[in-house]
Amino acid sequence: MVASSGKHRWGGAVKQITKSNFSAALQQIKVHIQDADFIAVSSQKTGDLAASSSHRYPWRRILPIDIAETAYLKAKLAAETFELLQFAVCPFRFQGSKVVAFPYNFHLFPRDELNLGMPSYSFSCQTSFLASMAREGFDFNVSIYDGISYLSRAQESIAKERTTPRVYSSSSSPSPSVADSIFIGRIKSRVENWRNACKDPCNMADGSLAKSLRKLILGGEVYGSRPSLSIDVCSDRQVQLALEMVTHISDDLVPLVVPDKSGGAKSVRVVLTSSEEDKNLLMSEIQNLEEEQNLKVRGFREVIDLISSSKKPIIAYNCLHADGNSNNNHGHNVLKLTRVFAKLGILLKIVPDCQTSLGQHTVPIEEYANIFYPISNSLQESEADDVDFHMDNVRKISTDDLVFIWGFREGTSAAELKNHLRQTHSVFSEDIELQLVDKTCAVVVFQKSGSAEALLKEIGSGMTNSTAPSKIISEGLKAAGYEAYKKVCRLGMWEAELADSLDCALSEPSGDLTISSGEDASEIYWSSESMIDLNDL
Amino acid sequence: MRSRWLISAFSRTLTLACSHPVHCRRFSSSATAAAATTAVAVKKVTKSNFEPALEDLRLRVREADFVAIDLEMTGITSAPWRDAFEFDRSDVRYLKVKDSAEKFAVVQFGVCPFRWDGAKGSFIAHPHNFYVFPRKELPVDGPSYEFLCQTTSIDFLAKYQFDFNACIHEGISYLSRAQEAEALQTLSSAYKDEFNNSLYNLEEHVEIPLLRTADLIFTERMKNRFHQWCDELIKSPAKNYRLEENSDSNKMQFQTVFFKMRPAVLLDGFSSHQLKLIRLVLRKHFKDLVYVRSVDENAMWKKIVVYTDSEEDKASLRKEVQEDLLRNTEARVRSAVGFRHVIDLLTSEEKLIVGHNCFLDIAHIYCKFFGPLPSSMVEFALAVHKNFPRIIDTRHLVNSSHVIQYLMKRSSKSLSSIFSLLCPRISSPSLHVASNSYVKVEVQADETGSSCFNSGAKHEAGYDAFMTGCVFAQACSHLGMKFELHSPSIDFSKNDKIQNYMNLLYPSWNSGTVIDLSTGIENPDSSYKRRYPQIVFSNIVLVWGFPSNIKPKDLKECVCKVFGPDSITLIFFVDSTAALIQFSKEDLVNEFLILKDNLESNDDPISVLHPLAKLLEGGNTHAANYETYRDICGSSISKVLFVDQAEAVGIRWKTKVENGSGETQKFASSSEITPGDNSPAVKQVIGKKNDPKRQSHHQVSCEDILDSLHASKLLFEKQVRSTR
Repeated sequence: MVASSGKHRWGGAVKQITKSNFSAALQQIKVHIQDADFIAVSSQKTGDLAASSSHRYPWRRILPIDIAETAYLKAKLAAETFELLQFAVCPFRFQGSKVVAFPYNFHLFPRDELNLGMPSYSFSCQTSFLASMAREGFDFNVSIYDGISYLSRAQESIAKERTTPRVYSSSSSPSPSVADSIFIGRIKSRVENWRNACKDPCNMADGSLAKSLRKLILGGEVYGSRPSLSIDVCSDRQVQLALEMVTHISDDLVPLVVPDKSGGAKSVRVVLTSSEEDKNLLMSEIQNLEEEQNLKVRGFREVIDLISSSKKPIIAYNCLHADGNSNNNHGHNVLKLTRVFAKLGILLKIVPDCQTSLGQHTVPIEEYANIFYPISNSLQESEADDVDFHMDNVRKISTDDLVFIWGFREGTSAAELKNHLRQTHSVFSEDIELQLVDKTCAVVVFQKSGSAEALLKEIGSGMTNSTAPSKIISEGLKAAGYEAYKKVCRLGMWEAELADSLDCALSEPSGDLTISSGEDASEIYWSSESMIDLNDL
Repeated sequence: MRSRWLISAFSRTLTLACSHPVHCRRFSSSATAAAATTAVAVKKVTKSNFEPALEDLRLRVREADFVAIDLEMTGITSAPWRDAFEFDRSDVRYLKVKDSAEKFAVVQFGVCPFRWDGAKGSFIAHPHNFYVFPRKELPVDGPSYEFLCQTTSIDFLAKYQFDFNACIHEGISYLSRAQEAEALQTLSSAYKDEFNNSLYNLEEHVEIPLLRTADLIFTERMKNRFHQWCDELIKSPAKNYRLEENSDSNKMQFQTVFFKMRPAVLLDGFSSHQLKLIRLVLRKHFKDLVYVRSVDENAMWKKIVVYTDSEEDKASLRKEVQEDLLRNTEARVRSAVGFRHVIDLLTSEEKLIVGHNCFLDIAHIYCKFFGPLPSSMVEFALAVHKNFPRIIDTRHLVNSSHVIQYLMKRSSKSLSSIFSLLCPRISSPSLHVASNSYVKVEVQADETGSSCFNSGAKHEAGYDAFMTGCVFAQACSHLGMKFELHSPSIDFSKNDKIQNYMNLLYPSWNSGTVIDLSTGIENPDSSYKRRYPQIVFSNIVLVWGFPSNIKPKDLKECVCKVFGPDSITLIFFVDSTAALIQFSKEDLVNEFLILKDNLESNDDPISVLHPLAKLLEGGNTHAANYETYRDICGSSISKVLFVDQAEAVGIRWKTKVENGSGETQKFASSSEITPGDNSPAVKQVIGKKNDPKRQSHHQVSCEDILDSLHASKLLFEKQVRSTR
């Protein structure tokens, strides 16, 4: 499909992928990703507290006061809380003067395919997200009924331990105890009897009745077309012994460990192969089975792994927290994105004919790669059409010059609070800026460096000779430096209101958090333009 | 041998098989699958037909003898360790139900009024299936705009063809009573403020901050345009005038409309920044023009500039606008109340409510439609009783009636299997059941078009409510109630036999108790067969964070080596990271805790070789008494693993010992200190993280802890000596 073709033709061009056509589509997308010059991605999730559109916990959104670390922690919380329902991937290739896109739309649902409580036991939904997705015509039934499940890399290794029968490599073990020798003796004779019976050519000629009788007596089973025998084990030690014993008996026996739900071994299954080739065949069969199982386990993550291992440039629109309000029909978003990118590419003078991989060779693009904007929210609410980032109103501010103030009456406006503070302490009469982070907490920016620290020290030491700080304290106002805020994010004290979280952080015993530490001060971009007009909302 | 089966009782299968009461009661055996195929007309109600359906339902409920209800939720337990366990203490059990009701959403609400028709000798049922979705319909913060989904529950709903699109696209929203009151107050005061502000600003000297050239040009252009518009108005006031636009900016068109009988301009297509500039321009240069915000028929905000003749006219316009806004607010709040109108109907009619295993359902109703759940079970029971004076739980009714138990024999306790067993005529009308003892139930689909009627299916709230009602009617008949004698209306509370079951609910499916909603008193349920011996909560120790390879039998072995083979009466794994150990004697609880702490604070060979050391490996093993378990269950956080949960609620100590005087000592060994953390050698302990006020009570100085540590050591040595 050519991206420059009409808008109306996009709908059909976006390939919808669900559980049923996933494996087939995987082969195709693999090729497209390999051939791509860059890949655009976009997602639909059930909510995002870090997004500007989220009004529930204003302070948990990513704000101008956030440094990279706190912004990441906020995004992390959101990613852990909510689920992806759709993930669009669009590999993109330059072909002559055309740009060719291959949009895929993956429908996802964290179904517990393996009955292990993974990928997620539960997830949160923000009704505003679901409602706006509904307005765009999102089909929830498709995602929930037929969505592809997935496991993260970490979950996969846990799941693997618990589900697939594995070929164990036997290692040397300490000298066997009496119980061990009894166990070995018992199963050894059993396995040998069974093997001999299976190998005995005259048995092969027997009728089905004799076969089933033998099966009953010897406890043999069939693994695929091959005879097999299960040995019950009750410890890892016994697994080890059984494995060693089996490999000692004969080369044509292949031991497999059958795990139980919790990942421990339930039994060892011995499979008898007829020849060396047959054994190799069995091993490759098991390998294939394992891969098939792996795909089922990994599910959609296979696509992510493909993208990640392709090392192609990835383009996403503010992917740290895609805005919940801007979700147009999904695959289309990716296409729009690629169009924008293609345009940008032209603007940046990338010659589309050059077939070389983009990322490595084009300097103009490199300069924009791997730079995310973790910050796009204004401290105050603003209408969607106003969110453009005016650099001219933004200046750098050290986190050392920030002080969080809380303990005031809910519903106090920034102006009221500022006036009030001026009456409590002289330091507030300096040139300061004050904005509310949420209903319960405000942040003050001091122009004069050192003022913040001095104030916090004064409050921290609870000095009584000066009446000023005691007036702050006596009014129930509390203050803390940026360290406290960082601690709140670091320790995951995600209370509904920032004041509660800061209270928690201060009650933790480590160190004096009221003072911001000068060493690891960072800079934030502060916008002094107050674009608040709550009436406009 | 007893302890062996106790231990083996722990397994994931226990939680998997029994953790979802709603699911359990609904899984039917294959023999009853026929129930699902019966065509019963269930009315599907969504946003689009809610108003007429509600009016219709009012009538049906008024006439009804009882109303059966059923709810479908997005989940049951927010973490595996929050499953209901048989030995949960009453307060813990309530905390678990509370957590569930607060976190999950109701997505379907079945209401089925039943009326006895004497002439027909039959009940007339009207099953309704309401799709519910907590939409944010008002610009006010509400607590219910985020909810949890349990993946398995959602999958379960999908398995029974739940229509998520209907729910999310078309679901009826609601406000609880508390939310409604708050919304009304917030919205009307917001409008009042705005009104006052705009008056105040009028007098203010306005200076337009012109930071950008674009702003400057825009303001100037607007000024000219409004001047032009005013001039034209004065020239030809009667003409329906349309402002001529310069060709270059045709996207911003001024169109004269009439607002409250005054000429006006609708501001359309401006950004909020531009609107702000326009307001400033108007305030500064135009005394006759008023900037007004109003809500149109489609509930959309529109911004209008209105021309007024005089100051009086201006004032009266403002008043009109404000009244409009207030009226509009009230209408919007009323409409946002949405599905709660159905609940209000049920409470105001004071009909008998019938549900199946409905304690959690009732908790959801309370939490979603009344207000925040009370903190204790007793308060909850009494508050529910005030709103619903008569509730019958058919599960309790069926379980405790000998007659019905006899009929049920050993069949499954799921609603659909009880239904097909007790009401074969309704569940499978094709089978000719020759008996007159069956109560007749007729389903009436009214005339309002058949499009909203679906044939009911199992696990659909409307149909489940219908089944519940049928089971109830049949059970009453088995208990000897003669409906014919009661015509025209039946008063169930007058019937002695039914009265025995009134307001008695199972707090959870495995509690082994019934709660009387009218008194808040919980009593053992005689029909319940306990799996565990009597639980003594004061003998219980909660252990968590131990090495993951420790299985129940290892734990038992470990503890019994120290305290003797008969020291443990029960071990229960809450999940793979936490266990409850019940000792045979209360003293052993503290002995265990003190010993644990002692072993951890000493690094001598004896501590390392101690049998209990196996349990403490990894240095993350925590222990406390049952109260800590309760506190952790009471937290609003839900981590999947208990060990993560304990950390998330802010537990930084490792052992908590409660001595006889009720004082609590909490210990943390020095190894816990994180590098770079300049904290004292022994960390002080804090209470639950989400309750900062509590913490001040727990503030203990380092010296205090060191002292108590020393004291406990002495105490322990004394105890050890005395036991020798």
